[in-house]
Amino acid sequence: MNLMNSRPPHIRSRESNFSIMGDMVIALLPLYFMAYFFYGNHVAVLGAVSVIVCVLLDVACTFLSRRRVGILDLSPVVTGLLIPLMLPASVELYVIIVADLFAIGVVKQPFGGLGQNIFNPAVAGVAFVALTWKTQVFSYPVPIQSLGAPAARLVASPAASLKMGATPNYGVMDLIFGNYPGPMGATGILILITCLIYLVVRRTINGKTTLAFMGTATVIAFLFPRITTGRLESVLYELTSGVLFFGAIFLINEPTTAPKAEPPRLFYAALSGAVVMLFRYVGAFEEGMFFAMILMNAFSWLMDMKYEERKSRERRARYEDTAETV
Amino acid sequence: MPEFSNRFFEKLAGQRLSYRQYDDVRLAKKGIVLEQNKEPALSGAIRLFCSPEMLEKEMEDRRPEDDTITIAKKAGIIEENTGQSLYLLLEKARDAGCKLIVADALDDEPYISSQLAPAMQMSEQLVRGLRLAAEAVGAEGLRIEVYKELGEIKTQIGQELDGIPIQRVGYGYPADNSLVTQHREERAVVFGAGALIHLARAVDRGLQQTTAFVTVAGNGVAESANVEVSLDKTLGELLREFGLLEDTTRIVIGGSMRGFTVTNLDGTRITPLTRGVLALREAFKDYNFTCIGCGRCASVCPVGLAPYYIYKFVQAGRYNMLGNFDIDLCIDCGTCSYICPAKLNISAEISRGKREMLNYMMSRQKKEQGKEEEA
Repeated sequence: MNLMNSRPPHIRSRESNFSIMGDMVIALLPLYFMAYFFYGNHVAVLGAVSVIVCVLLDVACTFLSRRRVGILDLSPVVTGLLIPLMLPASVELYVIIVADLFAIGVVKQPFGGLGQNIFNPAVAGVAFVALTWKTQVFSYPVPIQSLGAPAARLVASPAASLKMGATPNYGVMDLIFGNYPGPMGATGILILITCLIYLVVRRTINGKTTLAFMGTATVIAFLFPRITTGRLESVLYELTSGVLFFGAIFLINEPTTAPKAEPPRLFYAALSGAVVMLFRYVGAFEEGMFFAMILMNAFSWLMDMKYEERKSRERRARYEDTAETV
Repeated sequence: MPEFSNRFFEKLAGQRLSYRQYDDVRLAKKGIVLEQNKEPALSGAIRLFCSPEMLEKEMEDRRPEDDTITIAKKAGIIEENTGQSLYLLLEKARDAGCKLIVADALDDEPYISSQLAPAMQMSEQLVRGLRLAAEAVGAEGLRIEVYKELGEIKTQIGQELDGIPIQRVGYGYPADNSLVTQHREERAVVFGAGALIHLARAVDRGLQQTTAFVTVAGNGVAESANVEVSLDKTLGELLREFGLLEDTTRIVIGGSMRGFTVTNLDGTRITPLTRGVLALREAFKDYNFTCIGCGRCASVCPVGLAPYYIYKFVQAGRYNMLGNFDIDLCIDCGTCSYICPAKLNISAEISRGKREMLNYMMSRQKKEQGKEEEA
């Protein structure tokens, strides 16, 4: 009999990094099906190339930095799937590849790989290409009409109309099913809600964080409408345009870059909602999500440290109370 | 040993050490619900595995005028939760003016039912022991505490046992931690169910404590059961009696959450503190995962610490960053390691950090005392 020593606890929960990342992949794939239905084969090529580039670069960097290469680790797959979904379907392949290279090669691996990065790699990659190829990233093909040739006719998205103070003209059903120009994975609100429910039920993400983010964004859209046709319409179009809803599910809940304890995480999400709207209102671009997320990522460490400091003070006060009564 | 900054040391030495003596006061009532796996050991009859010379061994110098506490001393009863002699705990409770005696049949850790099963199957002895202890201490109230989240079990647990109320503790694991504040308010003292049963036997039949209640379980033994084992048996003898399988990889003494592994089966004896022996067959896989910062450890910590940060700082040896993290409050319950999706040894590393920090502070205090004496 070959007995081993191990440290307690001797039982572990079934959840693992693999299952968490796997859940994310499962939640992202329906968005690809939707994009395939709207824009055609090109979408599958973008997704596949992005995943391959991310995985290869991640493995190469891990190998070069002499860490053990983990095969079960799906995190580069998630990054690779996220990046094309935040970009229009008409985007050229090299834009996606540059975003991947920036995400893994500059934002993730130099900081020490998975769990060590300060900024969300996928968001940083997209922000980089948004600054570099502004027109390509912010002009969108029309769904269904542009099947097969996504780059033939490009239009501005509802987010751009909002930026100019104009009310976008799309029906509620179109908004729910995602039949309007926008980033290829971020429009189908119904599918996004399904993904959200799946992830919350599987406890992969915390629904409260999403609610906090959407809550502040809704309040700001309601109180300070950019369009003149009504407050409720403002809320509807602000929430459905761009990557806001997508970000509320997949970007705010990205575990590595968010604060760890629940109260600072909710604060971070709520503040992110406000900052996103601020970037949209006064920023140079129609979409503020990427830049707001990068800004907020930088503060999550500080939020955690301040929270721990406060909690420690409270604990100490309670101990002194107990000490008196004993 | 890493260097601490002076400011950090003052903070710890001035404030923490002064209230570390109250460190049994816990704050949060919080825990996780684990899969219990208590059957079939819990509902099966308690088996006896005892060498003939240890069976019903009587006390040597028992006198009729002895009171309960003296009998507990002569019978050599050890309380199985704390590992202290029962008579010392009884004396302490008497002097402190305790109002309520609690029989601990919690068994909140998976697999283990070595307090609950005797409490249910030997309830007459338990009730007798509880009454004797209360009489000796001068307490009026009596209570039996069992765990609420037992999962699906065949054993029926009633509302009371011979007039003594049974309280179900429903905070999840670790349940004992959630109860400390309540016990303090009620001026309650907790004794393990096993020790109380042994007390009843000592007083009524003049028997020494020669056995311990042990749960043998896990997928590495053919049969799971609660056993009354005599204290001269070794782990090997006990496990072979229950059909130890050849491909067992880990033998754990204690519960699956807080217990420790042993490799020398025939050199390890059963003690009064052995509450469970688990034989597990799962190989310990090296997943090579890294922390992804999900924050699940912080969300389950019953004391409300931030295990994620403490783990990282201890691993990096940066003890001077731990100022606000109250590492000394960690109760080693292991929930953070249990929940961790990266399968990191968080709680084991935190214990190591805690030990190193305490050693450092104690050596420093000693040095300062030496200097004062010289002066």
